[in-house]
Amino acid sequence: MGIDVGSVSTNLVLIDEQDNLVYKSYLRTQGRPLDILKKGIKEISDQYGEYKIAGVGATGSGRYLASVLVGADVVKNEITCHAVAALANNPEVKTIIEIGGQDSKIIIIEDGIVVDFAMNTVCAAGTGSFLDRQALRLNMEISEFGRIALNSSNPVRIAGRCAVFAESDMIHKQQLGHNQEDIVKGLCDALVRNYLSNVGKGKTIKSPILFQGGVAANEGIRESFKMELGEEIYVPRNFDVMGAIGAAILSREEVSSKGYTRFKGTDIYKQEYKVKPIDCNGCSNLCEILEIRENDEVLARYGDKCGKWSL
Amino acid sequence: MKKIGIPRGMLYYEYFPIWKDFFEGIGFEVISSNRTNKEIMDRGILYSVDEACLPVKIIHGHVDFLKDKVDFLFIPKIMSIYKREYCCPKIIGLAEMIRNSLDDLPEILDVVYDFNKRRGPEKAYKEIAKTLGVTERQSSRSLKKADKGMDRLLDWLKSDILPDNYAYRKDFKDLLLLGHSYILFDDFINMKVVEKLIDKDINVHFPEDISDDIARKYSNFTKKRMFWTHGRRIIGASNYVIMNHKVDGIIYLSSFGCGLDSVFTHMVSRQAAKYGIPFMNLTLDEQTGEAGINTRLEAFLDMMKWRDSHKDHISSFR
Repeated sequence: MGIDVGSVSTNLVLIDEQDNLVYKSYLRTQGRPLDILKKGIKEISDQYGEYKIAGVGATGSGRYLASVLVGADVVKNEITCHAVAALANNPEVKTIIEIGGQDSKIIIIEDGIVVDFAMNTVCAAGTGSFLDRQALRLNMEISEFGRIALNSSNPVRIAGRCAVFAESDMIHKQQLGHNQEDIVKGLCDALVRNYLSNVGKGKTIKSPILFQGGVAANEGIRESFKMELGEEIYVPRNFDVMGAIGAAILSREEVSSKGYTRFKGTDIYKQEYKVKPIDCNGCSNLCEILEIRENDEVLARYGDKCGKWSL
Repeated sequence: MKKIGIPRGMLYYEYFPIWKDFFEGIGFEVISSNRTNKEIMDRGILYSVDEACLPVKIIHGHVDFLKDKVDFLFIPKIMSIYKREYCCPKIIGLAEMIRNSLDDLPEILDVVYDFNKRRGPEKAYKEIAKTLGVTERQSSRSLKKADKGMDRLLDWLKSDILPDNYAYRKDFKDLLLLGHSYILFDDFINMKVVEKLIDKDINVHFPEDISDDIARKYSNFTKKRMFWTHGRRIIGASNYVIMNHKVDGIIYLSSFGCGLDSVFTHMVSRQAAKYGIPFMNLTLDEQTGEAGINTRLEAFLDMMKWRDSHKDHISSFR
């Protein structure tokens, strides 16, 4: 089993011994990772309860939380997981473009090895959350956003450097009377331009290029990448859960060398989990500590700087 | 005994030992502020101008911490340390910035160090002596005793500043951590990056580990003469380890909004790419959530290890 707890989506996958995908679910995190994770595990328990889960890998920004909850064998960062999954999908891959809810990455691969990568800096312009927001503002479904962009014949130019400027630029263009599809396509172009000059700066992008992460569902962005790079862009069938697949593959490797799993079983969704914030006043750092309890037992505490609370 | 306050920020991490010895040698008590914490940062952000970089904001917080506890504050105007070279404008203007942003300050000893105008330390310290009512002889004797060069600084960093687990181990991978001293050695700003790297079995090296002569020599390999002294150290040290394959990776801790860093990160990344050494830039600002930094660190270390199995991998010969 692979679990990817991201800022926007929580994904769970099951793979078999040959790394074939058996099951996948893509759930919105909605700011409640614990509940959504329990929901995801329940679904797996209902459908695959009779099967034995041999190992679990966790990734995503909520990977430590997930690991505490389910008992993961591997806790890995998203870059490594995405690279592992992409290489399993296409061993020839040279460049991975990954755009998720809060961050975007580029991973450069040579001979099956990650040799370079970059992530967006403090700015999250051009990631999934921003597209979500704009779709909401324009009153269209995010799933239609890409298709609408493809109808454009004359995209307008939008400033893509910063999400705040992009939004005001879009509003300005809309008030001038430009078509909605031209504005939407203009935004796609701007985000791709920004990605390539910010995250992809100084990197040599060679094909085959794999595009994964939630934003890869967006045909408009895909088309803009294709135009800008002049290369074919491959979107793997399971582009939206690649991180979770990578975590699952890594857990299979780990468990086969370790010989056992730390997984607590699919019944964990029945347990009561409580998260209690603690404001520590021990010193002037005023750390915000989180305590996670399973029934009445303390599972984990983290968030402190000094280690006084950590378990 | 009168008290001199030295805020723990900016060039504190390069000169504190010598400043402390000097002031104690002329009969004053030296007090520095506590290690940076959330309260100090919050106060610094509150008082300083909005456009400043985080380290400048944080030193405002340190001054606020000290101002009621001391008789004098020592915030020198360090214009230039070498001939035809300069410091960052915010280092030069620090005393003025602080004076205009904070109220009820004790007297600020803001002597000018300017090697371009032949105002070296002797002259600067003479001026301090005059303000404090100490004889010139006493002050020059104290300065002579205080100045023990880079070794003193490195000893002090190891004993007082760096985390307890800092030690060199032979079988660990080597990594050069680049950036300004006030970011590398302030574990609140850098979110304990040094400790985290050591916990992950990495030998962490700093630009300060490389001698001044080597750093100066290797900084000459850039196209244009580097006229920032602190840049010379960063570029010289990185050129040296890159061109001699001394490390397995380089991480640059840059401060959001730093003009010098915006130039250096590019120079280092190009040079690292040319010699095939993994490079990553981490931009630090007011964020205290550590997840983003941890993810990038973990991924970078994974990549360093993964590269070992690469057929073109050039191993370091340390």
